[in-house]
Amino acid sequence: MLSYVIFSLTTAGIYGLLALSLNLIWGGAGMVNLGLAGFFAVGAYASAILSLAGVPVPLAILAACVVGAATGIGATWATVRLRGDYLAIVTLGFAEVVRLVAMNERWLTNGTDGLPGIPAPLKSVLGPQGFAVFYLCLVLAILGAVFFLLRRLDLSPFGRVLKAIREDQDLAGFAGKNAMRVKLIAFACSAGIAGLAGALYAHYQSYISPDHFQPLLTIYIFLAVTSGGVGRPAGAFLGAFLVILFLEGTRFLGHLLPGLSSGQVAASREMLVGLAFLLVLHLRPQGILPERIRPAPRSQP
Amino acid sequence: MTQTTRRQFLASSAILAGSFALPLRALAQEGPIKIGTLTPLTGAGGPYGPVMADTVKAVVAGVNAAGGVLGRQVEVISEDDQTNPEAGVRAARKLIDVDGVSAIMGTWASSVTTAVAPLCWESGTMLTTVSGADSITLLPHEGYIVRTQPNTILQGRKFGEFTVELGAGKVFFMSPQTPFADSQFSEITKVVEAAGGSTAKLIYDDKKPTYRSEVDELMAFEPDVVVLGGYMPDTTVLLKDIYRAGYEGKMLAFAYSVNQKLVDALPAEVVEGIYTIAPSPAEGSAAYKALTELTGIAAPDPYTTQIFDQVNMVLMAIAAAGDASGSAIRDSFRTVSQGDGKPVHTALEGLEAIAAGEAVNYDGASGPCDFTEEGDILDCQFRYEQVKDGAFTLLKIA
Repeated sequence: MLSYVIFSLTTAGIYGLLALSLNLIWGGAGMVNLGLAGFFAVGAYASAILSLAGVPVPLAILAACVVGAATGIGATWATVRLRGDYLAIVTLGFAEVVRLVAMNERWLTNGTDGLPGIPAPLKSVLGPQGFAVFYLCLVLAILGAVFFLLRRLDLSPFGRVLKAIREDQDLAGFAGKNAMRVKLIAFACSAGIAGLAGALYAHYQSYISPDHFQPLLTIYIFLAVTSGGVGRPAGAFLGAFLVILFLEGTRFLGHLLPGLSSGQVAASREMLVGLAFLLVLHLRPQGILPERIRPAPRSQP
Repeated sequence: MTQTTRRQFLASSAILAGSFALPLRALAQEGPIKIGTLTPLTGAGGPYGPVMADTVKAVVAGVNAAGGVLGRQVEVISEDDQTNPEAGVRAARKLIDVDGVSAIMGTWASSVTTAVAPLCWESGTMLTTVSGADSITLLPHEGYIVRTQPNTILQGRKFGEFTVELGAGKVFFMSPQTPFADSQFSEITKVVEAAGGSTAKLIYDDKKPTYRSEVDELMAFEPDVVVLGGYMPDTTVLLKDIYRAGYEGKMLAFAYSVNQKLVDALPAEVVEGIYTIAPSPAEGSAAYKALTELTGIAAPDPYTTQIFDQVNMVLMAIAAAGDASGSAIRDSFRTVSQGDGKPVHTALEGLEAIAAGEAVNYDGASGPCDFTEEGDILDCQFRYEQVKDGAFTLLKIA
């Protein structure tokens, strides 16, 4: 039981990084990124390929952030004039392109067979149990660090410009802010964090394949950010843990419903996820920890 | 005040977490034998997984009614892999860590099986699968993986042998980029060259509206048999172009691509005479009959026949080892699946024989169920059919 809890918390931590990434770009700059799974995949593959080629794991993870961020900049250049729904569709397409490349470029990604045997740092020294605890601490430490950096960012002038762009890009431009540049930086940071999450996932699982990066993952993260509270890092953080608690917790409900076949229990789990999403949106559309917008300082009379 | 409550909270939650862990540990030693199914109940494999899980439950219900295994009842825990390796790993962790199952059966998608496999060999849990990718049994699995699905090497060999049987000297292989195209072609080549023939390969893009240039290449090779390795949509287009080019030799394809739907969609003269091959359940075997009686399904799909065999063999392996741990199942698996023992066709029959001290050899609903060291099946039956007047005629099951 204990190792299951440790595993679930580690997964939640990785989901948490993805939620923070989405919160920065969606909650901060108001850009809807449905391609989150794509950036996650880019980071995972970058770190996996590099470490399988003999690069030390910490360097490979760092490189995954950089590759993720670079891909983010590329994707933003291509979509710089798109907003709202159009941007959302293009980013969704981006994630599918990443998945198709991973499927077909066998020389690089080993195609649909995926990449097994990705090095897990210190696993041979610590043993499976010790590794699980070590990795949980590592993921939580990184999650904590990213969380505090993003909170700092949120309160900084850069964060305020982001939110100004979210509310009205033209007005922000009128106030002398270079909206394009700010959006580019924000997207790069967000994609870098998603890439970092992907790298951590790859080294934890030791196996990745194109099937890992289905759009379902993006939906889970949207669920996390929406239920936690869009626009507030603490909300995204909380939301990710709630989503894992919910996804894993519903497993144990099946035994309480007698007379259902396994197929029906699985279907009811999916319905519960949908129902929870609806309830959150209906009862608390601003999320559990809503964004706090501080009032402007009172002007001196 | 806040200090105390936080401390109290931490202490009580630690106690709570501990109390979860303790009774489960204790139960795992004394209670029923636990085995798990990890089939796709939702997602792309959704049409197959629920029937598979229910079949395992039906087999175990029968065994429990007859007194269980080693005098203990057997409990089946079914989880959903959602046809997704990420979700599959979470489900497998729950089966292994919380339920403490000694075997996981029925993983379907190759990616899910590969993702779940390391958890199984690290925790000493047996994994039986219906996935076909060659790479799975090449993993460093220490014997913890067994699969009942013929791998692509075996399928390729059957294709090769059949082309030789058709009298082919020159075989032309056409396929889009699939995980199995390469290994299928190299196996065909091995068999055909051993019989003194020659082969050529062409990999095409499966989204093209026409295959004129590809068919030109085919015609230039002047083959006796063309092997089509594609899926239904691209094979439909390709067959039209092959007919238009005036090819008069024989053609051989997977039964899942040249199926009734394709035959109905194309003019009769285009598809006339095509041969098809598919892995076949051992229809007519005693185990197959037992399965149809147990589930009430007249023609169970291949995956259902395979998981039926898996649960039968797992239960017998536990009985033969006298121990319900994953490593015991691994060590005694091949003593019940193959060898010179008494042929048995269900777990009930096998458990009775094992209790009487006899050696057993399981012959299943999916085939003879004999395994190599790596965990692949040695042989399985295939179904050979030919299109005649717009309908499939059975040539043989062998």
